[in-house]
Amino acid sequence: MSSASRSAAPVAVTGSGVVSPIGIGTAAFADAVFAGRSAVRAQTVDLIGLDVPLVPVAAADFDAPAVQSPSRIPLDRATAMALAAADEAARAAGLGDGSVAGERLGIYWGSGMAGASTFETTLKTVYVDHRRMRPTSVVTTMPNAPTAELAVRFRARGAALTYACACASSAVAIGEAMRAIRSGAIDVAVVGGSESLLTPGVVAGWQAMRVLAPIAADATADVAARACRPFARDRVGFALGEAAAAFVLESIGHARARGAAWQWQLAGYASNCDGVHITNPDAEGQVRAMRAALADAGLAAAEIGHVNAHGTATLAGDAAEAMSITEVFGAHAVPVTSTKAIHGHLLGAGGAVELLAAACALVAARLPPTANTELVDPAFAIDLVTGSARPAPQLRHALSSSFAFGGTNAVLVASRAD
Amino acid sequence: MQSPTFAAITSVLVEGFHVDAAVVSPAAALDQLGLDSLALMEFVFAVEDRFDVRIPEERLDPRQAGVTLAQLATLIDDAVAAKARGDVVG
Repeated sequence: MSSASRSAAPVAVTGSGVVSPIGIGTAAFADAVFAGRSAVRAQTVDLIGLDVPLVPVAAADFDAPAVQSPSRIPLDRATAMALAAADEAARAAGLGDGSVAGERLGIYWGSGMAGASTFETTLKTVYVDHRRMRPTSVVTTMPNAPTAELAVRFRARGAALTYACACASSAVAIGEAMRAIRSGAIDVAVVGGSESLLTPGVVAGWQAMRVLAPIAADATADVAARACRPFARDRVGFALGEAAAAFVLESIGHARARGAAWQWQLAGYASNCDGVHITNPDAEGQVRAMRAALADAGLAAAEIGHVNAHGTATLAGDAAEAMSITEVFGAHAVPVTSTKAIHGHLLGAGGAVELLAAACALVAARLPPTANTELVDPAFAIDLVTGSARPAPQLRHALSSSFAFGGTNAVLVASRAD
Repeated sequence: MQSPTFAAITSVLVEGFHVDAAVVSPAAALDQLGLDSLALMEFVFAVEDRFDVRIPEERLDPRQAGVTLAQLATLIDDAVAAKARGDVVG
């Protein structure tokens, strides 16, 4: 049964690609998601004055210098990841065969801090090494660097827009692209997000906020891998990860006309802001965002078979989200997962990577486990999938949430295409 | 036979800028590498940084693209020698 709310048309997702700590390529990523295989490890941050030298990180096994950019200049690592992920998505979608007019193709990309790792290197060059700047410092650091390289790569001549809304950045980018396609402004968009911030200065900044899971100096690799435990009673914070994920979005009509195939589609999107606090999440804002996304998709809460939560494993974040999920869906009424346990917090790339995790679940009709969490916080009335993957033969619609610093909430609804 | 300087220039071009190794020869001019002016500037900076020298501006403007890679290697060797002599160069 669909709700009475007016909904807009779904948008086909004709390709996906990913570079992540748990795998490069959609197939490898899906394997790790369903296995609950953690890529989190302890990293030493060698900075004078840092209180805690060990932090949990999840790095991608990715050779960034091997990526050739359209501009031929050496790239920021996050931009290299963006290009690799988008190339996979474009290949899967069959872009590049001339069937998409450039002026009908847009780029919608999200990143929280974009070229921050290059910026950090640049500052070191100037302030520590007392050397000159490279001529490409500006164009590799600017927040729209990935967007620009992608636009040149795909000869996209529609809108090329960059969204920076912290941990909701790529979810917002995807949702706004969906709206642009629905409006008729463009037919196709390459969308997603990228983030690579595992540099000492940025890691130290996160550590200073006390949101990273602490790791004891004598912790084993297995203990470090289990540092992030979303919705657990013993949750202590998250790990920092790096990733890029990309999708090709396309109007249903355009996809049909060129004979493209797709297994899942975007059905709904909403974004709003708490307007309350720069870091503390607000369940009321999350509830409004989830309900608005459901209305946009024309679905009732009971039709959602999977919530892929933001699930950061912070004390306050998970408490607010458990409350908002229960408010929208009812107590223990919908299976909930968080894959942050295994790939870390991907910041601006998180919304895109986690949408991909939700899509893998939709296509496989199987829900991934929330790794590392053994005992769900008894204060939470949610049905968290733990242990191992859970079969979900009736699964048709999933909801993926991103709730960001700054109060931006972005919720995407994905549906099976059949 | 390639000089160590030319070999280093080749490695910067091939690994850092994805220039086809078949294109990289001593006689190749900067404007034959498929790099635009910004990428050429970045390339010359990268070579200079590799040898920790600067070629004086009056001897090389990367925008003057007729310069060959052999000439660039000579300019680098000259700058390295000048630095070793303690000449005042960048």
